[in-house]
Amino acid sequence: MSNHQAAGGTNGDRTGRYVRHPNGHVTPMSPFTSVWRWHITMVASILFRVTIGAATVGAALMLGWIATASSGADAYAKLLACSASPLGLFVWFGLTVVLFSFLLNGARHLINDMGKGLDLKTANLMARIAVWGPLVLAVLFWVALFATGKVSL
Amino acid sequence: MSAAPKFKNNVKISERHGAGEWKIEKLALAALMPLSIWVASTGLTLAGADFATVAAWFGNPLNAALSAITAVVFFLFASLAWKVIIEDYVPAPSSRKTLITVSNIAFVLLAAGSVFFIVRAASLPIAGA
Repeated sequence: MSNHQAAGGTNGDRTGRYVRHPNGHVTPMSPFTSVWRWHITMVASILFRVTIGAATVGAALMLGWIATASSGADAYAKLLACSASPLGLFVWFGLTVVLFSFLLNGARHLINDMGKGLDLKTANLMARIAVWGPLVLAVLFWVALFATGKVSL
Repeated sequence: MSAAPKFKNNVKISERHGAGEWKIEKLALAALMPLSIWVASTGLTLAGADFATVAAWFGNPLNAALSAITAVVFFLFASLAWKVIIEDYVPAPSSRKTLITVSNIAFVLLAAGSVFFIVRAASLPIAGA
Protein backbone atom coordinates (compact mmCIF):
# COMPACT_ATOMS: atom_id res chain seq x y z
CA MET A 1 0.00 0.00 0.00
CA SER A 2 2.73 2.43 0.95
CA ASN A 3 4.59 1.35 -2.20
CA HIS A 4 1.59 2.25 -4.26
CA GLN A 5 1.54 5.77 -2.85
CA ALA A 6 5.16 6.37 -3.74
CA ALA A 7 4.86 4.79 -7.14
CA GLY A 8 4.03 7.62 -9.50
CA GLY A 9 5.86 6.54 -12.64
CA THR A 10 7.56 9.82 -13.32
CA ASN A 11 7.68 12.87 -11.15
CA GLY A 12 5.22 14.60 -13.40
CA ASP A 13 2.75 11.71 -13.53
CA ARG A 14 -0.54 12.78 -12.04
CA THR A 15 -2.67 10.11 -13.67
CA GLY A 16 -1.94 7.48 -11.05
CA ARG A 17 -1.90 4.93 -13.83
CA TYR A 18 1.70 3.84 -13.40
CA VAL A 19 3.31 1.68 -10.78
CA ARG A 20 6.95 1.26 -9.86
CA HIS A 21 7.70 -2.42 -9.41
CA PRO A 22 10.11 -3.70 -6.74
CA ASN A 23 12.77 -4.09 -9.44
CA GLY A 24 12.50 -0.41 -10.28
CA HIS A 25 10.62 -0.78 -13.57
CA VAL A 26 7.81 1.64 -14.17
CA THR A 27 4.84 0.16 -16.04
CA PRO A 28 1.23 1.08 -16.62
CA MET A 29 -0.91 -0.34 -13.87
CA SER A 30 -2.85 -3.46 -14.79
CA PRO A 31 -6.28 -2.31 -15.88
CA PHE A 32 -7.67 -5.30 -14.07
CA THR A 33 -8.42 -3.94 -10.62
CA SER A 34 -8.25 -0.22 -10.07
CA VAL A 35 -8.87 1.43 -13.39
CA TRP A 36 -11.77 -0.56 -14.80
CA ARG A 37 -15.10 0.18 -13.26
CA TRP A 38 -16.98 -2.87 -12.04
CA HIS A 39 -19.64 -3.81 -14.52
CA ILE A 40 -22.62 -6.12 -14.10
CA THR A 41 -21.45 -8.26 -17.05
CA MET A 42 -18.21 -9.00 -15.17
CA VAL A 43 -20.21 -10.05 -12.12
CA ALA A 44 -22.39 -12.36 -14.24
CA SER A 45 -19.35 -13.89 -15.94
CA ILE A 46 -17.57 -14.58 -12.66
CA LEU A 47 -20.76 -15.87 -11.06
CA PHE A 48 -21.15 -18.43 -13.87
CA ARG A 49 -17.82 -19.98 -12.94
CA VAL A 50 -18.78 -19.91 -9.28
CA THR A 51 -22.10 -21.49 -10.26
CA ILE A 52 -20.39 -24.30 -12.17
CA GLY A 53 -18.26 -25.03 -9.12
CA ALA A 54 -21.27 -24.96 -6.82
CA ALA A 55 -23.32 -27.03 -9.27
CA THR A 56 -20.57 -29.67 -9.26
CA VAL A 57 -20.82 -29.88 -5.47
CA GLY A 58 -24.62 -29.84 -5.78
CA ALA A 59 -24.57 -32.70 -8.29
CA ALA A 60 -22.41 -34.73 -5.91
CA LEU A 61 -24.94 -34.02 -3.14
CA MET A 62 -27.80 -35.09 -5.43
CA LEU A 63 -25.90 -38.28 -6.18
CA GLY A 64 -25.70 -38.83 -2.41
CA TRP A 65 -29.45 -38.23 -2.17
CA ILE A 66 -30.19 -40.79 -4.91
CA ALA A 67 -27.74 -43.28 -3.39
CA THR A 68 -29.46 -42.94 0.00
CA ALA A 69 -32.93 -43.22 -1.50
CA SER A 70 -31.88 -46.33 -3.40
CA SER A 71 -30.67 -47.92 -0.15
CA GLY A 72 -34.16 -48.33 1.24
CA ALA A 73 -36.84 -46.77 3.42
CA ASP A 74 -34.82 -46.52 6.67
CA ALA A 75 -31.88 -44.68 5.12
CA TYR A 76 -34.26 -42.39 3.23
CA ALA A 77 -36.21 -41.57 6.41
CA LYS A 78 -32.99 -40.47 8.11
CA LEU A 79 -32.06 -38.31 5.14
CA LEU A 80 -35.53 -36.77 5.10
CA ALA A 81 -35.15 -35.84 8.78
CA CYS A 82 -31.77 -34.21 8.04
CA SER A 83 -33.28 -32.37 5.06
CA ALA A 84 -36.03 -30.93 7.25
CA SER A 85 -33.56 -29.55 9.79
CA PRO A 86 -32.65 -25.83 9.53
CA LEU A 87 -29.22 -26.68 8.11
CA GLY A 88 -30.78 -29.12 5.66
CA LEU A 89 -33.30 -26.54 4.47
CA PHE A 90 -30.49 -24.01 4.10
CA VAL A 91 -28.52 -26.43 1.89
CA TRP A 92 -31.58 -27.24 -0.22
CA PHE A 93 -32.32 -23.53 -0.63
CA GLY A 94 -28.73 -23.02 -1.75
CA LEU A 95 -29.13 -25.84 -4.26
CA THR A 96 -32.21 -24.18 -5.78
CA VAL A 97 -30.33 -20.87 -6.08
CA VAL A 98 -27.50 -22.72 -7.85
CA LEU A 99 -29.93 -24.53 -10.13
CA PHE A 100 -31.66 -21.32 -11.24
CA SER A 101 -28.30 -19.55 -11.54
CA PHE A 102 -27.10 -22.36 -13.81
CA LEU A 103 -30.26 -22.06 -15.88
CA LEU A 104 -30.34 -18.27 -16.27
CA ASN A 105 -26.60 -17.66 -16.49
CA GLY A 106 -26.17 -20.66 -18.80
CA ALA A 107 -28.87 -19.27 -21.08
CA ARG A 108 -27.16 -15.87 -21.06
CA HIS A 109 -23.85 -17.52 -21.94
CA LEU A 110 -25.39 -19.58 -24.76
CA ILE A 111 -27.09 -16.51 -26.26
CA ASN A 112 -23.83 -14.54 -26.11
CA ASP A 113 -21.91 -17.50 -27.57
CA MET A 114 -24.19 -17.40 -30.61
CA GLY A 115 -23.04 -13.81 -31.09
CA LYS A 116 -26.40 -12.43 -30.03
CA GLY A 117 -27.28 -9.96 -27.30
CA LEU A 118 -23.85 -8.40 -27.25
CA ASP A 119 -24.93 -4.79 -27.52
CA LEU A 120 -24.54 -2.86 -24.29
CA LYS A 121 -28.20 -2.62 -23.39
CA THR A 122 -29.05 -6.30 -23.97
CA ALA A 123 -25.83 -7.53 -22.39
CA ASN A 124 -26.52 -5.47 -19.27
CA LEU A 125 -30.12 -6.67 -19.07
CA MET A 126 -29.18 -10.34 -19.48
CA ALA A 127 -26.38 -10.00 -16.94
CA ARG A 128 -28.77 -8.41 -14.44
CA ILE A 129 -31.27 -11.23 -14.97
CA ALA A 130 -28.49 -13.81 -14.56
CA VAL A 131 -27.25 -12.21 -11.33
CA TRP A 132 -30.54 -11.42 -9.55
CA GLY A 133 -33.00 -13.76 -11.26
CA PRO A 134 -31.81 -16.90 -9.42
CA LEU A 135 -32.54 -15.34 -6.02
CA VAL A 136 -36.01 -14.26 -7.13
CA LEU A 137 -36.84 -17.64 -8.67
CA ALA A 138 -35.48 -19.55 -5.66
CA VAL A 139 -37.57 -17.48 -3.24
CA LEU A 140 -40.68 -18.03 -5.40
CA PHE A 141 -39.86 -21.76 -5.55
CA TRP A 142 -39.71 -21.96 -1.75
CA VAL A 143 -42.81 -19.84 -1.33
CA ALA A 144 -44.57 -22.41 -3.54
CA LEU A 145 -43.17 -25.29 -1.43
CA PHE A 146 -44.30 -23.72 1.84
CA ALA A 147 -47.66 -22.62 0.41
CA THR A 148 -48.47 -26.15 -0.78
CA GLY A 149 -47.41 -27.57 2.58
CA LYS A 150 -44.71 -29.81 1.06
CA VAL A 151 -42.18 -28.18 3.34
CA SER A 152 -42.77 -26.70 6.79
CA LEU A 153 -40.61 -25.38 9.58
CA MET B 1 2.57 -25.40 -38.59
CA SER B 2 3.76 -26.20 -42.08
CA ALA B 3 0.69 -25.03 -43.94
CA ALA B 4 -0.23 -21.37 -44.18
CA PRO B 5 -3.06 -20.42 -41.81
CA LYS B 6 -6.50 -20.63 -43.39
CA PHE B 7 -9.27 -18.14 -42.83
CA LYS B 8 -13.04 -18.36 -42.95
CA ASN B 9 -15.02 -15.13 -42.78
CA ASN B 10 -11.77 -13.43 -41.77
CA VAL B 11 -11.51 -15.69 -38.72
CA LYS B 12 -8.47 -17.93 -38.48
CA ILE B 13 -9.31 -21.61 -38.62
CA SER B 14 -7.68 -23.60 -35.84
CA GLU B 15 -4.65 -25.52 -37.11
CA ARG B 16 -4.98 -28.54 -34.88
CA HIS B 17 -8.02 -29.52 -32.88
CA GLY B 18 -10.65 -27.26 -34.26
CA ALA B 19 -13.51 -26.14 -32.11
CA GLY B 20 -14.78 -29.60 -31.25
CA GLU B 21 -14.39 -29.37 -27.50
CA TRP B 22 -16.01 -25.96 -27.35
CA LYS B 23 -18.93 -27.18 -29.46
CA ILE B 24 -19.48 -30.23 -27.24
CA GLU B 25 -19.44 -27.99 -24.16
CA LYS B 26 -22.03 -25.68 -25.71
CA LEU B 27 -24.24 -28.55 -26.91
CA ALA B 28 -24.12 -30.08 -23.42
CA LEU B 29 -25.03 -26.73 -21.87
CA ALA B 30 -27.88 -26.28 -24.36
CA ALA B 31 -29.19 -29.75 -23.51
CA LEU B 32 -28.97 -28.91 -19.81
CA MET B 33 -31.27 -25.90 -20.16
CA PRO B 34 -34.55 -27.85 -20.59
CA LEU B 35 -33.19 -30.56 -18.28
CA SER B 36 -32.65 -28.08 -15.45
CA ILE B 37 -36.22 -26.81 -15.83
CA TRP B 38 -37.26 -30.46 -15.50
CA VAL B 39 -35.03 -30.84 -12.41
CA ALA B 40 -36.71 -27.77 -10.85
CA SER B 41 -40.18 -29.20 -11.54
CA THR B 42 -39.02 -32.52 -10.07
CA GLY B 43 -37.95 -30.60 -6.97
CA LEU B 44 -41.49 -29.27 -6.64
CA THR B 45 -42.83 -32.83 -7.01
CA LEU B 46 -40.47 -34.64 -4.66
CA ALA B 47 -39.79 -32.04 -1.94
CA GLY B 48 -40.69 -33.60 1.40
CA ALA B 49 -42.02 -36.73 -0.30
CA ASP B 50 -42.07 -40.02 1.61
CA PHE B 51 -40.12 -43.08 0.55
CA ALA B 52 -42.97 -44.75 -1.33
CA THR B 53 -43.46 -41.64 -3.49
CA VAL B 54 -39.74 -41.42 -4.29
CA ALA B 55 -39.54 -45.13 -5.11
CA ALA B 56 -42.60 -44.88 -7.35
CA TRP B 57 -41.13 -41.79 -9.03
CA PHE B 58 -37.89 -43.58 -9.87
CA GLY B 59 -39.93 -46.62 -10.88
CA ASN B 60 -41.28 -44.61 -13.81
CA PRO B 61 -38.84 -45.38 -16.68
CA LEU B 62 -39.19 -41.87 -18.12
CA ASN B 63 -38.09 -40.28 -14.83
CA ALA B 64 -35.22 -42.72 -14.39
CA ALA B 65 -34.04 -42.21 -17.98
CA LEU B 66 -34.21 -38.40 -17.76
CA SER B 67 -32.34 -38.49 -14.43
CA ALA B 68 -29.57 -40.60 -15.92
CA ILE B 69 -29.35 -38.39 -19.03
CA THR B 70 -29.22 -35.26 -16.86
CA ALA B 71 -26.45 -36.72 -14.70
CA VAL B 72 -24.31 -37.91 -17.62
CA VAL B 73 -24.72 -34.70 -19.66
CA PHE B 74 -24.06 -32.54 -16.59
CA PHE B 75 -20.86 -34.38 -15.68
CA LEU B 76 -19.73 -34.22 -19.32
CA PHE B 77 -20.31 -30.46 -19.26
CA ALA B 78 -18.67 -30.12 -15.84
CA SER B 79 -15.56 -32.02 -16.95
CA LEU B 80 -15.11 -29.68 -19.94
CA ALA B 81 -15.89 -26.59 -17.84
CA TRP B 82 -13.42 -27.59 -15.14
CA LYS B 83 -10.83 -28.30 -17.81
CA VAL B 84 -11.20 -24.71 -19.02
CA ILE B 85 -11.05 -23.37 -15.47
CA ILE B 86 -7.91 -25.39 -14.68
CA GLU B 87 -6.28 -24.29 -17.94
CA ASP B 88 -6.99 -20.68 -17.00
CA TYR B 89 -5.58 -20.75 -13.50
CA VAL B 90 -2.84 -23.41 -13.45
CA PRO B 91 0.14 -22.25 -15.48
CA ALA B 92 2.56 -25.15 -14.91
CA PRO B 93 1.96 -27.76 -17.68
CA SER B 94 2.69 -30.80 -15.51
CA SER B 95 0.35 -29.90 -12.65
CA ARG B 96 -2.23 -28.68 -15.14
CA LYS B 97 -2.17 -32.03 -16.91
CA THR B 98 -2.36 -33.92 -13.63
CA LEU B 99 -5.28 -31.84 -12.35
CA ILE B 100 -7.22 -32.27 -15.60
CA THR B 101 -6.65 -36.03 -15.48
CA VAL B 102 -7.79 -36.19 -11.85
CA SER B 103 -10.90 -34.10 -12.53
CA ASN B 104 -11.76 -36.22 -15.58
CA ILE B 105 -11.45 -39.42 -13.55
CA ALA B 106 -13.61 -37.89 -10.81
CA PHE B 107 -16.32 -36.91 -13.31
CA VAL B 108 -16.31 -40.34 -14.97
CA LEU B 109 -16.74 -41.90 -11.52
CA LEU B 110 -19.54 -39.45 -10.64
CA ALA B 111 -21.34 -40.16 -13.93
CA ALA B 112 -20.97 -43.92 -13.52
CA GLY B 113 -22.08 -43.71 -9.89
CA SER B 114 -25.13 -41.66 -10.87
CA VAL B 115 -26.24 -44.21 -13.45
CA PHE B 116 -25.63 -47.07 -11.01
CA PHE B 117 -27.66 -45.52 -8.19
CA ILE B 118 -30.44 -44.32 -10.51
CA VAL B 119 -30.82 -47.90 -11.83
CA ARG B 120 -30.75 -49.13 -8.23
CA ALA B 121 -33.43 -46.59 -7.22
CA ALA B 122 -35.50 -47.48 -10.28
CA SER B 123 -35.53 -51.16 -9.27
CA LEU B 124 -36.68 -50.52 -5.69
CA PRO B 125 -39.66 -52.66 -4.70
CA ILE B 126 -42.71 -50.41 -4.63
CA ALA B 127 -44.94 -50.91 -1.61
CA GLY B 128 -48.29 -52.39 -2.53
CA ALA B 129 -47.15 -53.34 -6.03
